[in-house]
Amino acid sequence: MDSRAAMDTVSENASPSQAHFAPQPLRFTGSGAEYFGIWIVNLLLTIVTLGIYSAWAKVRRLKYFYRHTELAASSFDFHGSPIRILIGRVLALAMLIGYNVSVRLHSPLTLVVIVVLAIALPWLLRNSLRFRLYNSSWRGTRFHFRGGVGGSYRIFLLNGFLTLITLYVMAPFMHQRLKAYQHNNSWFGRTQFSFHARVGQFYLIYLLLLLGVAVFVLTFISSGVLGTFAAIAQAQKHGGHADPRAIFRTLILFYGVAILTVLLIGPIFHALITNLVWNNTRLGEHRIECNLPPIQLMWISVSNFVLVVVTLGLFMPWAAVRLARIQVDAVRLLPASDLQEFVAAEPETIGAVGEEAATAFDFDISL
Amino acid sequence: MLQANYFDGRSTRVRSVDLSLSGEDLIVIGEDVDLRIPFARVQVDERLGRAPRRLRLEDGTFFEVRDSRALDRLLSAVGHRDGWVDTLQRRLPLVLLALVGCAMCAVAAYRWGLPSAAATGARHLSPVIGKTLSAQALKVLDAGILLPSTISEDDQRRLNAAFHAMRLPEGGTPRSALLFRRSPQLGANAFTLPDGTIIVLDDLITALGDDQQTLAVLAHELGHAHGRHGLQMLLRTSAVGAFLTFYVGDISTLLAAAPAAVVEARYSQEFERQADDYAAALLLHNEMSPGLLADALTKLAQLQPALSKGGYLASHPATDERIRRLRLPAPAAGAK
Repeated sequence: MDSRAAMDTVSENASPSQAHFAPQPLRFTGSGAEYFGIWIVNLLLTIVTLGIYSAWAKVRRLKYFYRHTELAASSFDFHGSPIRILIGRVLALAMLIGYNVSVRLHSPLTLVVIVVLAIALPWLLRNSLRFRLYNSSWRGTRFHFRGGVGGSYRIFLLNGFLTLITLYVMAPFMHQRLKAYQHNNSWFGRTQFSFHARVGQFYLIYLLLLLGVAVFVLTFISSGVLGTFAAIAQAQKHGGHADPRAIFRTLILFYGVAILTVLLIGPIFHALITNLVWNNTRLGEHRIECNLPPIQLMWISVSNFVLVVVTLGLFMPWAAVRLARIQVDAVRLLPASDLQEFVAAEPETIGAVGEEAATAFDFDISL
Repeated sequence: MLQANYFDGRSTRVRSVDLSLSGEDLIVIGEDVDLRIPFARVQVDERLGRAPRRLRLEDGTFFEVRDSRALDRLLSAVGHRDGWVDTLQRRLPLVLLALVGCAMCAVAAYRWGLPSAAATGARHLSPVIGKTLSAQALKVLDAGILLPSTISEDDQRRLNAAFHAMRLPEGGTPRSALLFRRSPQLGANAFTLPDGTIIVLDDLITALGDDQQTLAVLAHELGHAHGRHGLQMLLRTSAVGAFLTFYVGDISTLLAAAPAAVVEARYSQEFERQADDYAAALLLHNEMSPGLLADALTKLAQLQPALSKGGYLASHPATDERIRRLRLPAPAAGAK
């Protein structure tokens, strides 16, 4: 494949079959040291303003990561308004507190709160998706999310309910539906994304996850935990009191196994799912390729975890950059035609006023 | 002359242009582009590390510039100044200062802010919350490590009556419920739930073998109830948990899950001292000696040398120091 072809061929009506376009890798160009300055100033201002600045901090953080993500020598950009994010955060916090308080109080109000949340959450999540995509751009052309509320209710209420009553047997199904809803309704300018991964493929990865967790936990239990349990039981049989330190050790071991499971198996699962999702997502005619290496991602996650703990969190900017780099660098766009040909959504189809009205209730509620 | 990429906001086409200044105007010359824009209408995006910087126009079009030094020269020529946040982020001494500032805020919040906020919160929290939490905690404990008491009903009734006959330093009699339980795991112990309910374990009563000393220990527990230490602890650990979620949530939700233990270890000593002071005041108020509590502590320490780290004393460090405090001639002067 001629790599220059992609950059040089600017033939207006070249069909995909006529020209070959070189794959375009996504590249992350940020650095931990550079991000440290942004991060620590964000942190300080957030603390000093008792959290209010966190919305501005988030915009700056996202801008940093978007602007350091490049495709075909052009970076992405984030345009979100900090005020909207602040509103979203206040709303999310209020809901969280309302939920926690009502659940603990066990009053008739609890049911009301849960029903209200069940009705509001899918709507908010849809709007949150819309906010995030609408405020993302590449080469000045914005992304859009055009999914209706109906789809959101179907997934979060209907599929969510099915997942619960089948004791999570339907979880991969819900996951597939969610990704399909997200990706099939995403647009870049006037070009629509499409999603092609099948439910069976999700089930396969979830089965691997289940298998991994089972093997992992069984290995640990058979090696260490059972031993300490036996010791405690023994002590209780004879002396009445078990050594509290033994109980403590067992608890630590339990917690350790849980952490290790998440730390080692989590990234592998994440990599497999991410690869599945993006390898089966297309932007118009353009294909996307994602090769997030599971073992490397696991290494990054584990070493990040250790270094963040050891440095009391100061390693975090580097950790975030390392994580972004491995994820961004794994993605390539396989263009079917010239990347210069994307056209922004026509202003008149949405209209500046319409856009404002459509986004008036959009907040970013991801904390 | 400054090389830039021009984006028209209507397509993803990249146009290479040259930027230059003419007086107060920005001159743009390149592929299909020939513009002259008053610089006052150009919005300069803040610097973000070494990412290409952007100059935006009102209509959504923008220029992307990679050569940041050349851009800086152009910007200083029109008198543009970067924001103060930008300066903070880029100057190493200021970054270090911000780091020190964060550390100081964290220490101050932990030493003073959190305790006083938790104390205020615990005082104003609806009693319903404490009751619900305690009912749940008791249910869990009763299903797990707590067994029914084997203390005779007469003894229980006698202790209960004596406990509720005590007069509190602030007036009135204890409103805390007193529950009797037994637990091989917890041994000689007594503890207070968030709503003030006090649970006393059989081993403690039999180990002390003295009603007065048992009452002294219960007076100490009343100190916890009076200070709402349970609720305070809960609020403190939740606040620390919430902060850590915010702090490390970016990269790991896992790390945010484990902080509670760290907080409790540091704070429990301070609560113990407060409860001791309260107990001493209460005992004096009832014409009993604070030495009774010291006697009880001594006895517990002697009875369970092997378990001195495990039983009632586990969460009560520096027993010797506490005993000394309680035996002072004018004990617990600070108690309210």
